[in-house]
Amino acid sequence: MSDHDQHTEVGHDSHDHAHHGGNGKYLLVFVALCLLTTGSFLTYFPFWRAHVPVPASRALMMAISCTKAMLVIMFFMHLLWEANWKWVLTIPATFMSVFLGLMLVPDVGWRINNGYARYSEERWVYAADPHKVEASDLKAAEKDLQREGAN
Amino acid sequence: MSDSHGPRLSYQPALPIPNGKTCLWLFLSTEIMFFAGLIGTYIVLRFGAVAWPAPHDVLLSEPLGAFNTFVLICSSVTVVLAFEAAKMNQSGKAKGYITLTLLLGCVFLGVKMYEYSHKFEHGIYPVKPHGMVYDKADVYYSAAVRKRLNDLKTPLTAKGPNATEDDKARILVIDEVMKKVDAAETAVRNQPDSPEGVIKLTELAYEIYPPHDQGTVIQAAEAGAIPPAIVVKYAAYEQPTADGKSEGKGEEREGINEKNPWLRLPIMIPGGPMWASTYFLLTGFHAIHVIVGLIAFALMLFTTLDRSRATLVENVGLYWHFVDLVWIFLFPLLYLF
Repeated sequence: MSDHDQHTEVGHDSHDHAHHGGNGKYLLVFVALCLLTTGSFLTYFPFWRAHVPVPASRALMMAISCTKAMLVIMFFMHLLWEANWKWVLTIPATFMSVFLGLMLVPDVGWRINNGYARYSEERWVYAADPHKVEASDLKAAEKDLQREGAN
Repeated sequence: MSDSHGPRLSYQPALPIPNGKTCLWLFLSTEIMFFAGLIGTYIVLRFGAVAWPAPHDVLLSEPLGAFNTFVLICSSVTVVLAFEAAKMNQSGKAKGYITLTLLLGCVFLGVKMYEYSHKFEHGIYPVKPHGMVYDKADVYYSAAVRKRLNDLKTPLTAKGPNATEDDKARILVIDEVMKKVDAAETAVRNQPDSPEGVIKLTELAYEIYPPHDQGTVIQAAEAGAIPPAIVVKYAAYEQPTADGKSEGKGEEREGINEKNPWLRLPIMIPGGPMWASTYFLLTGFHAIHVIVGLIAFALMLFTTLDRSRATLVENVGLYWHFVDLVWIFLFPLLYLF
């Protein structure tokens, strides 16, 4: 990434960067991608699952995926060496997909780890089994009450 | 004129790149949003689901997914090498790399097809008329099992004295399963308020298609998809151990469907229908993108890939890297989460 600054002159011709890529660099990126894939594949093995909590493995997998995506975008898609026009296209797209993700946050928040007591009646109709109050519901409701009491 | 006062501005008619490349990047930014929407929806549905199957419940093979990831990464490298060759005016070399990319893409699709057909064989489809996956073992499930058994038995009994030994053996198997369906349905009918009937139905469902993971059994019980009493019975299913020895009771796991492949009875996987919908939608859309890329590579082989076509190679390459990019996220989300 150190040579990033040298190559961002405006009007830089995208065809004229034979000196940037270089097949050696591509192979290096390839090796990095393979190693990273192996990293997320480690979570498949029982010894990993026995020792690492699920949320930690998931965070690791997403971090690895983002790193791999950046490597592909920067080197294989040449964005590292492109002129400033790249921001015109990438920034709006990134913003829009981030907003798209943010718009799903209420959905995710209401459904995950919020206790079965918070499930709406309508949702229970389409769930795996019609809602019957069970021990787990009561526990979740108790937890909610405690949380509210604490606030 | 007002021009004389301000600084002289030179008019830039477009982005300083070929129009084709601009269009492709614009297209890619719409594609980013397309897949961001699909993956976002998957996350909401998956983590909001009451129950979700473990990868092995739905016959997902993590090593196959990892292999496919590797194949796509390799194809990304070959396509970028093709671009470098085209820039150097080495048409033959560029075509060689494009051919290699085409082959790697075909390998990816081949593996995907194998995975799909393996699931189809076991009745894991996204849609009810063809799919045989049920969310829970209720009376609708037992009715479906009964119907399938009757459909199988009718032609066999119609043979009468012409029935072979094999046919007779099949009738015996059908009758045996039918007895269990009858017992479960009787229990549901006679004691509607007792969990006995549901327990029997769930036991039958697990006999037909056993669960592959204790964790999902517990999760399904907590969610109310299966009666909690079942968990005790299936608690014997091994947890992954530290030394990696998880295959201890392989024989015990063989279900009625597996022992008699001709039976193809409906199966119960809590969260299975929703899983099938999201899995086939996401991987299906990705596979369509792969196919489009392969068509583009195939067409490129008919042209000379010299310096004048370098932009074409670059544009198709950009698209292909994007397809790889999507898979980079799909693989952990679908196979490892």
